[in-house]
Amino acid sequence: MATAAMAYGSSIASHGKDMVNKELHRFVSVNKLKYFFAVDTAYVAKKLGLLVFPYTHQNWEVQYNRDVPLPPRQDLNAPDLYIPTMAFITYVLLAGMALGIQKRFSPEVLGLCASTALVWMVIEVLALLLGLYLATVRSELSTFHLLAYSGYKYVGMILSVLTGLLFGSDGYYVALAWTSSALMYFIVRSLRTAALSPDSMGGPSSQQRVQLYLTLGAAAFQPLIIYWLTFHLVR
Amino acid sequence: MTSPNNPMIMEEVEDPIANSTEVFKIAASRQYAGYDYSQQGRFVPPDMMQPQQPYTGQIFQPTQAYTPAAPQPFYGNSFEDEPPLLEELGINFDHIWQKTLTVLHPLKEVDGSIMNETDLAGPMIFCLAFGATLLLAGKIQFGYVYGISAIGCLGMFCLLNLMSMTGVSFGCVASVLGYCLLPMILLSSFAVIFSLQGMLGIILTAGIIGWCSFSASKIFISALAMERQQLLVAYPCALLYGVFALISVF
Repeated sequence: MATAAMAYGSSIASHGKDMVNKELHRFVSVNKLKYFFAVDTAYVAKKLGLLVFPYTHQNWEVQYNRDVPLPPRQDLNAPDLYIPTMAFITYVLLAGMALGIQKRFSPEVLGLCASTALVWMVIEVLALLLGLYLATVRSELSTFHLLAYSGYKYVGMILSVLTGLLFGSDGYYVALAWTSSALMYFIVRSLRTAALSPDSMGGPSSQQRVQLYLTLGAAAFQPLIIYWLTFHLVR
Repeated sequence: MTSPNNPMIMEEVEDPIANSTEVFKIAASRQYAGYDYSQQGRFVPPDMMQPQQPYTGQIFQPTQAYTPAAPQPFYGNSFEDEPPLLEELGINFDHIWQKTLTVLHPLKEVDGSIMNETDLAGPMIFCLAFGATLLLAGKIQFGYVYGISAIGCLGMFCLLNLMSMTGVSFGCVASVLGYCLLPMILLSSFAVIFSLQGMLGIILTAGIIGWCSFSASKIFISALAMERQQLLVAYPCALLYGVFALISVF
């Protein structure tokens, strides 16, 4: 009797799991997503260093292996989603801690912070997608690529908030200026080479100019959003 | 599923269980004169693609009845024939103790097969013990512990499935994270006596978080054969245990 009940329960559980898997696979291709998480410790360390100090890096091209881009383990320039995800979660927890230090903490505020940041990221990715579509840019940038590049700003946000907590308001503005300029340089250099796919050499020059404006616009947007999402934490 | 030339030969093999029953049916219908059913080893027709998970021929022996994975004695109607309660529930105190020792010695090598049987009884005990020590300190926060552990397990499950070559089941993730909660119980029982908000408390908290996440990542790495990713797995574990530590400190 007990075994029959257990078998029934486990069959219902597996049926539910199959249903969830099917729905998930309709929206998100797990294999493509796995490419962005194929990272190792050396890559993450070097990429974080690059995000803070990108000025000495020479070669920004994403390397290909017979038309398939190399995974992040083997190519420093490939975007990944591990760093943005971890940085986002760390930012939310750090915001909770900063508000706790200012005695303004409650669990609802944590959810508010998280959803605000998430909404801004979604808006930015949608705006970039719209811009790429309107400019009829042929590029290899999928939604996940754009998500990765717009998620790199959370690293800068964390550094700014940490310096603000440790060294006060002046430290916050110095760190904000440094990380904003580093991030702008990083985004401009990466997207300029990534927006051009390996076979097309740019097409008409007006299209190239539109791509450049798009990249510069995306880069200029970063400091604004970093400031907007962090200044209330370092009062 | 069968090629047009020879209906007996399977082209693509995906699911070994369904495939094995399918092949069993096909094999049973073969009219081989001298086919020996008692042949052991892999049943692979010569021009079939090699399946990803080769299966042995044991299931095709009609003399051997199919037994379930965990053989259980036949439950007679009499009361004395029933197995003891703990064995029926699958709680094995000896295994729980062994796994606890593995967590408590973070520098000892661990083999990957330790977490093959996902048992949630040990983690349940540890969660309840953690809530009990928090209760002793005056914080009635079972709900937070439960919610955070559920969200954390779900997040770790998604992350590990994306990062590793082989997948991982949710029970395995929950089991490992639950076992590595043990040092956190030490921290919260320490918080009953002394307040943790001084410098010593911060150092102790950081040390215990490091210990928990180090042993959790060590078990995950060896169980999933992920190379050079230990720190990457340890960081989200550290975030999760950091939230638990926040509960016990503040």
